[in-house]
Amino acid sequence: MFEMAKLKVPIITIVIGEGSSGGALAIGVGNKVFMLENAIYSILSPEGYSSILWKDPSRVKEAAEKMKLTAKDLHDLKVIDKIIKEPSEGDDKENFNKICKSIKKEILSSIKEFNDKSESEIVEQRYQKFRNMGEYIKL
Amino acid sequence: MIVDKIKKREPSAKNKKANIDIPVGKWIKCDECKEIIYKETLKNNLNICPSCGHYFRMHINRRLEQIIDEGTYQRFDLNIDTSNPLKMDEYTKKLKSLREKTGLEEAVACGTGKINGEDVVICIMDSGFMMGSMGIVVGEKITYSIEKAIEKKLPLIIFSVSGGARMQEGIISLMQMAKTTAALTKLDEAGLLYISVLTDPTYGGVTASFASLGDIVLAEPKSMIGFAGQRVIEQTIGESLPEGFQTAEFMLEHGFVDKIVERKDLKNTLYKLIQYHK
Repeated sequence: MFEMAKLKVPIITIVIGEGSSGGALAIGVGNKVFMLENAIYSILSPEGYSSILWKDPSRVKEAAEKMKLTAKDLHDLKVIDKIIKEPSEGDDKENFNKICKSIKKEILSSIKEFNDKSESEIVEQRYQKFRNMGEYIKL
Repeated sequence: MIVDKIKKREPSAKNKKANIDIPVGKWIKCDECKEIIYKETLKNNLNICPSCGHYFRMHINRRLEQIIDEGTYQRFDLNIDTSNPLKMDEYTKKLKSLREKTGLEEAVACGTGKINGEDVVICIMDSGFMMGSMGIVVGEKITYSIEKAIEKKLPLIIFSVSGGARMQEGIISLMQMAKTTAALTKLDEAGLLYISVLTDPTYGGVTASFASLGDIVLAEPKSMIGFAGQRVIEQTIGESLPEGFQTAEFMLEHGFVDKIVERKDLKNTLYKLIQYHK
């Protein structure tokens, strides 16, 4: 994370399946963070969460609902920049190709966006993005 | 806590009759040697058991008294509260009752102060407040302190004690790891000294972010330091762990910690290190 924060090239991150805890975050500190519509990204697995917070692993379903780990939740929380849509029906192989195409489109447009930016602007944009994570109330 | 039990217990009928005046909450039992210690004695001995040398965890105020020159601490004027991103009612209630009980605003206190006359930015965590877990407020306060250190060109000292990321804030607390880490890259670029002091216990997201990123990482003897807890690791890998695993001494041997410093020597060690790096 320390080294990634200093990289002078844009980092584009796409959560494609299940991402959780420090490992996911370590490679998740991107200038742009995308997420597939049905992927999840969380502090830890719902099993671990219910076991740590309530000391009751059987409340896993409730944990999954409360944790806000869906792409929509994370977009609302401003943790990710954009949701990449996934087709809800149809042929698997065809859908796979469609998703890959959507991902490619986002990668290319992100690269284009950063093309005109200087190295320090790229580092600063990433810094500010994570600097502002977590809304607080002023007392 | 044994003290809580003592406080809660009603005086027995027998005691009432005899009218014995037993002071409440003045004694504490050592977790290690089970010796009953007078609290005032413990306080005057840097929260170390006079009988076996066991280190008790320290309240922020005690730590400040120990490390910072008297009358020099100035807390940062940053009065903030969490936005409770997962909208958990029980969390809001818990924070309120903890604030009343501990007299602390949150799990970390940050400000400036002097160590034997040397100006520093200091952050001190407290395990008494939600196990020192890092949520939005802790993340913001640590980041703010790092930025202040850069602005004032001062060395930064953080005393860590934490169970890790604050579960009640979900992924937002995970993001505080990225936030504090990124801020430390700026401190690094500014060429300023950061000394991280690990105390018992330091775990999870705090270990995996700012606590490990000190230019110098010190630890108090026998502190437990790790990412995941031992039970979790054992259950995951299905193997038993080596003796002394995750102790400060084990971490020193494996290069994670630079030096183990006894509590009584911490202030002078910090002072010397600041002097060397001036």
